[in-house]
Amino acid sequence: MALLEVRQLRVAFGAARQPLHAVDGLDLTLEAGEVVGLVGESGSGKSVASLALMGLVDAPGRVSANRLAFDGRDLLAMRPAERRRLLGRDIAMIFQDPSTSLNPCFTIGDQIIETLAVHEGGPRRSLRARALELLQQVEIPDAAQRLDAYPHQLSGGMSQRVMIAMAIACNPRLLIADEPTTALDVTVQAQVLQLLLRLQRERGMALLLITHDLAVVSEVAQRVVVMYAGQVMETGPVPAIFTAPQHPYTRALLDALPEHKRGSERLQSLPGVVPGQFDRPTGCLLAPRCRFAQARCAAERPALVTSGVGTVRCHYPLDAQGASQSHTAEAAR
Amino acid sequence: MSEILFEARDLSRHYQVPQGLFRPKAVVRALDGVSFGVMAGHTLAVVGESGCGKSTLARQITMLETPTAGTLVLDGHDLATTSKATLRQLRPMVQMVFQNPYASLNPRKRIGSILEEPLKIHTTFNAAERADRARAMMARVGLRPEHYERYPHMFSGGQRQRVAIARALMTQPKLVVADEPVSALDVSIQAQVLNLLMDLQAETNVAYVFISHNLAVVEHIANEVMVMYLGRVVEQGPARAVFDTALHPYTRALLAATPRLDPAERGERAIVRGEPPSPLAPPRGCAYASRCPLAQARCRDEAPQLRELGGHRVACHFAEASG
Repeated sequence: MALLEVRQLRVAFGAARQPLHAVDGLDLTLEAGEVVGLVGESGSGKSVASLALMGLVDAPGRVSANRLAFDGRDLLAMRPAERRRLLGRDIAMIFQDPSTSLNPCFTIGDQIIETLAVHEGGPRRSLRARALELLQQVEIPDAAQRLDAYPHQLSGGMSQRVMIAMAIACNPRLLIADEPTTALDVTVQAQVLQLLLRLQRERGMALLLITHDLAVVSEVAQRVVVMYAGQVMETGPVPAIFTAPQHPYTRALLDALPEHKRGSERLQSLPGVVPGQFDRPTGCLLAPRCRFAQARCAAERPALVTSGVGTVRCHYPLDAQGASQSHTAEAAR
Repeated sequence: MSEILFEARDLSRHYQVPQGLFRPKAVVRALDGVSFGVMAGHTLAVVGESGCGKSTLARQITMLETPTAGTLVLDGHDLATTSKATLRQLRPMVQMVFQNPYASLNPRKRIGSILEEPLKIHTTFNAAERADRARAMMARVGLRPEHYERYPHMFSGGQRQRVAIARALMTQPKLVVADEPVSALDVSIQAQVLNLLMDLQAETNVAYVFISHNLAVVEHIANEVMVMYLGRVVEQGPARAVFDTALHPYTRALLAATPRLDPAERGERAIVRGEPPSPLAPPRGCAYASRCPLAQARCRDEAPQLRELGGHRVACHFAEASG
């Protein structure tokens, strides 16, 4: 049985008559101990999806799903108190900006102890010892002194390590990391990623890594889910999804990376931006920006279908050579 | 062929930092003996972690601050000794694009007046001439004519960065300092903005000082690279030479830490431990010694000087050993 099972997750904002679906029918399955990357541009619904998994979408946002189960238990049918007990203990989350996710008024020791006290309880002295142990596990130098430090006394990398310590405090089975290294320098990013992976391996956690950095995903994840405007465009295993992407959107994201084009050549850019509430196309959401779009793409929204090693939502998926099947299909007609 | 447009020699900028009411002020050497030249139409990339002095450097080049020591030469004029009248003529030649397009555009001004502001300050054009030039510039950076009347909040991040670039180019500068111009943008938008910067360079022969921590972007756009660490240059030279045969252990660490799509390109993961030392208490010897895998006793005692090696310049006692 999968650790996390999401079927047709929808998150809607705005008026009931004209809702904006920030997440529009997301399917996602995570096995225990699996590392999955969730990628897409800003506005593609990655973060809202993760907040919905955590139950952190407040009214007026509306979350619905055909199934949203963690370890076989239906999260949506649970009583709120029951769900809260699960969160922070079995499902933990790390946010993008460590400097705004720590409370500036309390020492980091207090904040780690709070997590432990809520979920496990026990005498304060033993909790403090546990907190110290956690700081050592996330490789913070002089951990004993750092327990009494305030967040402003720590660098960005250190704060993110503290966030990781808090997240793993209760041995979660699923860790959701929302852009955990975006705010960090490249050397510190490498340290933090390595730390996350080591903890993931040692503890057999499942890790859902949300990022817009495809290179990070390709180094870390076993499977990738590509989102665009609230929908899954393509899923597939690493490295197949990077060497032979089937969806034009995945392909465009890869082509936009400078490392593919050495020297002063032009980068392949994806024109335009992610559609908002009022300019959502009726057909394929990517159609207005897609190089390969045909008349059918603008009229009819494709379904997510199994194709090769992954799944893809496209009328004319790309073949292994990267050529679109749209031309051959049009010619055959 | 192309002449040196801008030159910095032994540029230093120190800041006094109060330590408390009765304690003497400490000195932070944000920039310490930095020398470089920028050719017309070329791109110099400045690379390094936060706190290495990249943005301080930008403030010196754009004449927003006066350096503590050293010489800046722009188009043959020494900025420290030149007259105020000449300085006034030189200022429009250097413009800046900032990192965050959400913070660098005045939310209460329309795009048109944002673009016309530099002309109001630096030229004698009348309102109609200014508007013509603003509209022409908008077309060149890929904004539509109807955007002239709009406010910044009506634009996406990539479009805002286009406005910021357009504003920087209004005075027809010879040098544009771009401080992390694409790091706040998505990869797809980042590619659009990088293409725009390169097209504009080809059209107008403008030179860029491109500050970035993203080595993949730098590799794509730069002619020359300067790697900084704690206010000093540790390696500089032609981009190809620096990327192909990085000599300084710090440059190599940066390259190894950059995530790569292609497994074949990933360097062996010699991950740098720790973080840079505090600029308030820099070490006596090499600033990188505390994190360097090659560090010896000599590194902790004696700060290495920049020297020529293998076609570029490097500040490391053991650069030969690491090559």
